[in-house]
Amino acid sequence: MIEALFNQPNYLAAKKTLDAVVLRQEAIANNIANLETPGYKRVDLTPTFQAQLEQACASGDPQEINSLKPTLAVDTSAVASSRDGNSVHLQTELTQMDENAVAHTLETQLISGMLERMQMAITGKDA
Amino acid sequence: MIQILTGVDNSAAALTAEQTRLDVISENIANANTTHGVDGKPYQRRVVVFESALQQAISSDGSVQMSPVQVARVQKDDSPPIQVYDPGNPDADSNGMVSTPNININEEMADMISASRSYEANLAVIKNARTMAMETLSIGKH
Repeated sequence: MIEALFNQPNYLAAKKTLDAVVLRQEAIANNIANLETPGYKRVDLTPTFQAQLEQACASGDPQEINSLKPTLAVDTSAVASSRDGNSVHLQTELTQMDENAVAHTLETQLISGMLERMQMAITGKDA
Repeated sequence: MIQILTGVDNSAAALTAEQTRLDVISENIANANTTHGVDGKPYQRRVVVFESALQQAISSDGSVQMSPVQVARVQKDDSPPIQVYDPGNPDADSNGMVSTPNININEEMADMISASRSYEANLAVIKNARTMAMETLSIGKH
């Protein structure tokens, strides 16, 4: 079956991480948009996602990796430093956005590389 | 519709909100010396109040709902007008005191800088989303 080609744990994990990175960008965008909204609490990826992904990768079961879904949650560890109860810090968000952008570049290049090698294996030609 | 640029709707809403804030600040600065409005009273300082359209509703599957920011209202600052001694002014009372708007230019300037920094931050997010989308679109290209 053709699906077997795309069922390697590494490839699936890279895809899931890319999903998570894109979702995280959305969370950071939302945090920055609500920089001055009174009472807003910052959101981020659910902290357990990383551990779940690692566990699923360790088991090597493609089904288990595929069934993972990154979600967002209110960041309970963030402290509101202003009196209006808003827990967003611009510097932290911008730094995390930059980190996230690097992670995105890494994941897209990983996926591209894997697809390229797969094609090379099929055609026997250097792409 | 496919969302290629994730999260930019919220950033765009934030840009609009910050723009409104800048507009209100410029109105305040422009009227810093308006002692006689249409109602005969000195101009009152305006303040923008932001709110999240959805107050971070947590949906049934435990995920957090995104909440675009919007301007809730433009509120009047009810602090009393500043009294200035200027007997030559047509708006002066019998003691020569004029009620001038409750506007502190320094405060407005600081607020303006804060608003434009927030605007820039949201622009940076949009640029970043665009870069990420371009990278995603180039998967598999070599």
